[in-house]
Amino acid sequence: MKPPILIAILATVMTGTMIVMLSSHWLLIWIGFEMNMLAIIPILMKKFNPRAMEASTKYFLTQATASMLLMMGVTINLLYSGQWMISKISNPAASIMMTIALTMKLGLSPFHFWVPEVTQGISLSSGMILLTWQKIAPMSILYQISPSINTDLMTLMALTSVLTGGWGGLNQTQLRKIMAYSSIAHMGWMTAIIIYSPTMMFLNLNYINFYFYIKMSLYILMTLSTFMLFMLSASTTTLSLSHTWNKIPLIASTILTLMLSLGGLPPLSGFIPKWMIIQELTKNDMIVVPTLMAITALLNLYFYMRLTYSTALTMFPSANNMKMKWQFEHTKKMTLLPPLIITSTMLLPIMPMMSILD
Amino acid sequence: MMTYIVFILSIVFVMSFVGFATKPSPIYGGLVLIISGGIGCAIVLNFGGSFLGLMVFLIYLGGMLVVFGYTTAMATEQYPEVWVSNKAVLAAFITGLLSELLTACYILKDDEVEVVLKFNGMGDWVIYDTGDSGFFSEEAMGIAALYSYGTWLVIVTGWSLLTGVLVIMEVTRGN
Repeated sequence: MKPPILIAILATVMTGTMIVMLSSHWLLIWIGFEMNMLAIIPILMKKFNPRAMEASTKYFLTQATASMLLMMGVTINLLYSGQWMISKISNPAASIMMTIALTMKLGLSPFHFWVPEVTQGISLSSGMILLTWQKIAPMSILYQISPSINTDLMTLMALTSVLTGGWGGLNQTQLRKIMAYSSIAHMGWMTAIIIYSPTMMFLNLNYINFYFYIKMSLYILMTLSTFMLFMLSASTTTLSLSHTWNKIPLIASTILTLMLSLGGLPPLSGFIPKWMIIQELTKNDMIVVPTLMAITALLNLYFYMRLTYSTALTMFPSANNMKMKWQFEHTKKMTLLPPLIITSTMLLPIMPMMSILD
Repeated sequence: MMTYIVFILSIVFVMSFVGFATKPSPIYGGLVLIISGGIGCAIVLNFGGSFLGLMVFLIYLGGMLVVFGYTTAMATEQYPEVWVSNKAVLAAFITGLLSELLTACYILKDDEVEVVLKFNGMGDWVIYDTGDSGFFSEEAMGIAALYSYGTWLVIVTGWSLLTGVLVIMEVTRGN
């Protein structure tokens, strides 16, 4: 793609998300979503093979359907409340339709079927943008309508997403599909807490619901780091990941800590959101749901552990010439990779600082 | 008949949507899209929006659909699919038409239909006074407002259209 076009397309993607996040009029939000979706299609189709075109088509179809459902929900809300502002949506049909549309955009179960196929068909860097930046816009709208979301629907979708994210990723060796299922599961965790996050309407001030933000930012940090590490050695399968000990030995151990952080193990920062979400859910008298979510997160942890095992803890049997690679200096410029890795793994000791937001 | 014209037009509108939603070949889909666009324009006209309805005809049908018709004519196949050529398409078409007719009969019988939401009555489908503000017509004032107070909207819309063109060029480049 020629540089001016690439700049224009990327600027449109970011502008679309910004318009979605900063608007209070539903029409502009819909325009932002459409702008975002339209402009990311050429990014998904960087390589012109049929696989990438099929993935972009699937992405376009699901996102367009979700935008249309969102528009229908907005129109029903207009019919029953007479105004276009984002505020409490009094009509349950409108709010259910909007919730379904936004969860379709995010890739929550039962609308998760497009995520692994689209992520597998595109390149690693496009997949990185798809799984991190594209989640920001629908999440911001879900946050803004969170007082009106139907609790049962959201909890059900979150629970089934964690289940499908865990179970679906078990049989995968392709890294992009593993990251897709990981994204499904993490979105499930995020949406489970969005209904219960404290939005205190004290003197008409809305305090941010910080559990959801913590989960969101940590998920983005961790996913960005993993994708960048995969891009360093251009590895898209578990097998090629298992050769990193010879290519760039440093990232073999980094992948270990990062995968365990994604899985939510305690001394790493991936544990922070899980801890806070389970704490907040139990404070709201939900016992079975966080138990089930914590147990099925173990499925997630299993395939992360499989990746760490094959990368850093064992050496697959291979021919001897695979064990003696030329040690070139890697020239891929991964911006801000060291700070990303550190924030994705070492933030746990400063978690008590979150209490200043209370 | 004239009092129920919007009702009749909206029934035919949905039926023509069924016509292209059953996925015949794009040429026939475009044909039905033209008809449904024309009927949509007529519905808007019946609510008093003469300018907007004619805009639909001019820009949507006369601009976009003409280009669409040309491109599908270039990309067509030897035996395009019609509604009666394939049993699945025919079945879907008949199902859609029957559902629409049933809904129409429901509305005519009960004056109100509730499928998740209430769409009450023929009263809403008949032309009603839109509560216009004096001598100004709302829709012309809306368009005037778009170009004066709504400059940001015009910029966003223009940029989206430009992005659409860039995206299409990029996607169909193919190397």
